[in-house]
Parts: sequence; structure tokens; C-alpha cells
Amino acid sequence: MSLALLPSKAIRRSPRPQSLPVLDFLAPNWTSWRPVTQKARIATSAPNTSTNPPSKPLTKSQKEYLDSALRVNQAGELAAVLIYTAQTPPLTRAHPHLRPLMTHMYEQEAGHFAVFNTLLAKHRIRPTAMYPVWSVAATALGWGTALMGREAAMACTEAVETEIGGHYNEQVRVLLEWADERRKEGHTLGAELEELLGTLRRIRDEELEHLDIAVENDAKEARPYELLTDVIKGGCRAAIWVTERV
Amino acid sequence: MATSTRLARTLTRSSLRSLSKPPTTRRYHAADSPPPPPFSPAESAILSAALAHVPANGFTSTSLRLGARDAGYLDASTNLFPRGAFDLVNYYLVTQRLALKDSVQFPAESAGGGARIGVGKKVRTLALARLRANAEVGVVGRWGEALALMAQPTLLPASLAELARLADEMWFLAGDTAVDASWYTKRASLATIYSATEVFMTQDQSTGFKDTERFLDARLEDGMRVGGFLGGVGEWVGYTGHSLVNVLRSKGVRI
Repeated sequence: MSLALLPSKAIRRSPRPQSLPVLDFLAPNWTSWRPVTQKARIATSAPNTSTNPPSKPLTKSQKEYLDSALRVNQAGELAAVLIYTAQTPPLTRAHPHLRPLMTHMYEQEAGHFAVFNTLLAKHRIRPTAMYPVWSVAATALGWGTALMGREAAMACTEAVETEIGGHYNEQVRVLLEWADERRKEGHTLGAELEELLGTLRRIRDEELEHLDIAVENDAKEARPYELLTDVIKGGCRAAIWVTERV
Repeated sequence: MATSTRLARTLTRSSLRSLSKPPTTRRYHAADSPPPPPFSPAESAILSAALAHVPANGFTSTSLRLGARDAGYLDASTNLFPRGAFDLVNYYLVTQRLALKDSVQFPAESAGGGARIGVGKKVRTLALARLRANAEVGVVGRWGEALALMAQPTLLPASLAELARLADEMWFLAGDTAVDASWYTKRASLATIYSATEVFMTQDQSTGFKDTERFLDARLEDGMRVGGFLGGVGEWVGYTGHSLVNVLRSKGVRI
């Protein structure tokens, strides 16, 4: 097959980042005093907060829940971004037709990551202390599964997105419960939480879209499928458990 | 007398409740549900009155007793503060930290084409404002006593937690929004620099605490220089690694 047969558009839109992801953990800009600016699509200030004051402040346990939930979400999106970043070069070398797909998924994950970075900064939630560890682990996971082949990489996506999708679903369920409780008392959820609920729903749907993409791309053909997905799912659950705490 | 006893009893209950659960953990900050005030009205009344006696009597139980008397409570009501003088120190630290957001105002970012103040500059301004408060309230001469109290093994965790909250408050007010691993290193380095400067300030005899200001600038500059050096090393390692992998890939190694 000659190079001319490959879709040139896909080649030009290489999602490979400017810096090497594998070695990024060696250069964590830790002590930099420069401000890090983040762009996110969400509106950070709800304009109608003054006209529609939420009638009930959050309880302590609700705040604690949001604190750990948003921290886990940020860590999860960080991992997702790094997994796709590390998977893309080996995968698109072997299968150039996957390039637009990987770009699409990477861009969505980068968007989610920016959303949670903004939310953490806004609500003064600390990021997880395991940040460097998760960065290395996610890069290794993405790179390793990409080397194992297309099916393994897709099985990795399937396993991760299954866990993450379930996790977001759980959070949406909790927020809806709060909304129900408040409605019974004649209160509203408040603009901030309504917006968070909408964001979580949108992100959950996008994660589940990635899951479908992975299954369509022969994730189930990976060998050994059961072992691989079970190990990755177990790792995800363990990481979530740890991140909720530190 | 009966009213005083009742007063003391209610005071005990409210104080014990708030003291057994100090506002140590930082949680989700919501714009529409601000955190509750850290001290009950009675505690605030006694402790703020006691603070006025600190320049003369230091961070001691004497100040606490005089403060309670000024606020119209019995001498015995100082028993409500189980950590004694440290509760006075803690009150001072917490109220000064919370006052920081009102005492330092930065011009709005979007307002006109005025030169934007960097985050580093803002942190310096905030740290200096917090140090100046020690002089303005007049506790700087007695601050050595407070530091000695804070360094006691049983009280050290509470002191360090308050220091961490102060560093967090400063980075927040300076408008820093980085939420990666640097979140921790920034707070740790600022807390170190701030506490070193505070110790220096207790020995500073210069007018207007000029030497303290110079000391703070030197420490902040050190921090920035170390940060810049590490950043440069990181950039070099990243570039070299990137080139290496690309060379290997161009040779046909499947990585």
C-alpha cells in the first residue's frame, strides 16, 4: 500500500502533542511560580445567582462529597488525557485510519480535564496528592496497551470508560437525590449545582460514546480480554478509592 | 450570680462544641453557602478583648483573664479555652487570615490597560500585609511567645494546619488557579518562606521593618531561582527524551 492511498487529511491532523508524554513526569513544572492559565468552556459565574438565591446551604457531608467527587473526576480526566496521549503515536503508526478517532476522543478528554481544573480552582478543592503517580501510571497504561495492539488499546478504553461512566452516573444519581430532597422541602438545587449536574451528564454521555467507539473497534477481540479488562477495571477502582482519600 | 453561672454554662457548651471540632478540614467552597464563622459570639468577645492586653501581658492566661473581665464575663470563664493561651494565638491567626481578603485589594484584571500584577507580586504583597498586621496590632514584640507556644509538640499539628490554611489563602487571593502537583509545592514553599520571615521579624529592630521586607524579598527570589532552575532542567530532559524517542521511531523501532 502506497503512502498516497492514505487519507492526507488525517495525517495533517496528527494529535501528537508537542512534548513527549512518556517523560513528562520527569519534568513536572513543580516549583514554577508562573501562573498556569486554563481555558474551559463552562461559564464560571452564574449570572442569575443573585436573582435566584439557593434557599438552602450545603451541609457538611454534602460539601465533603463534592470535594472528593470533583477531585476524583479531575484525576480521572488527567489519566484519560494521558492514556490517549500515550496511545496515539504507536497506535496511529500501525493503524493510520484510527487517527481522526483518536484525535476526537483526545480532544473531548482534554475538554473535560479543563472543565474540572476550572471547577477545582473555583471551589478551592485541592488536587489529589497522587497526581505525579497517576500521571506515570496512566502514561504507562496507555503506552503499554498501544504496544500490545489495536484490540488491547481499545479494550483498555472500554475498561476505563466503563468504570468512569459508572462513576459519573453515581454522581448524577446523588445530585438528583439532593434535588429531590430539596424539592420536597420547597427548595431548589441552586444554579451552581444545576450547572454541575448538566456538566456531569454531558461528560458521562461523552465517556459512554468512547466506550461504544472502543467496542465498535474490536475491543472484545483483545487477547486475553477478560484478564486485561479485569486488571484495568480493578486498577481504576483502586485509584478512585485512593483519590477519594488523598 | 445565678445568671453568671447560667451564662458560663451556655458558654461552656457552645465553646466546647466549636473547640472539639475546629474548622481544620478544607472543603468545597460554594459561592452561595459561605463557611460558618469560626468563633461563637461569646468566644469572639472574650478573645478580642484579651488581644488588647497582649502588648502589655503577652500571650498568657493573664491576658485571657483580663479579656474575659473586660467583656463582662467571670474570670473562671477562661477555663472554656482548654488550650489556654494557645486559643488566643489561634484566634489571632484565624481572624488575621480571614481579614486578609479585605485588607488587600488588587485592581480588577479586566479594568483598562493597566499593567497586570503577576501572581508572584501579589503573593509578596499579601505576605507583607499579613506580616504588617503583626506590627499594627502590636503583637510583634510578643510574637516570640506565640511561636514558642505554637511549637509545643501537642499544639504543633494545629499550628501547621493553620499555617497551611494561610498559605492556601494567599495563593487563592493572588489568583493562582493551578491544580496540579505544583499546588502542593507552592503552598509548602510559601509556608516555609512566610514562617521564616515571621521568625526574622521578631528580631527586627529596623524602622518600618525594612529588614523584614528585604528578607522576604530575598527568600521569594531564592524560591523563584530554584523553581526556574528546576524548570530548565525539566525542559532539557523533556526535549532530550523527545528527540531520543523520535530518533528510535525513525529507525523503525516500534515504540
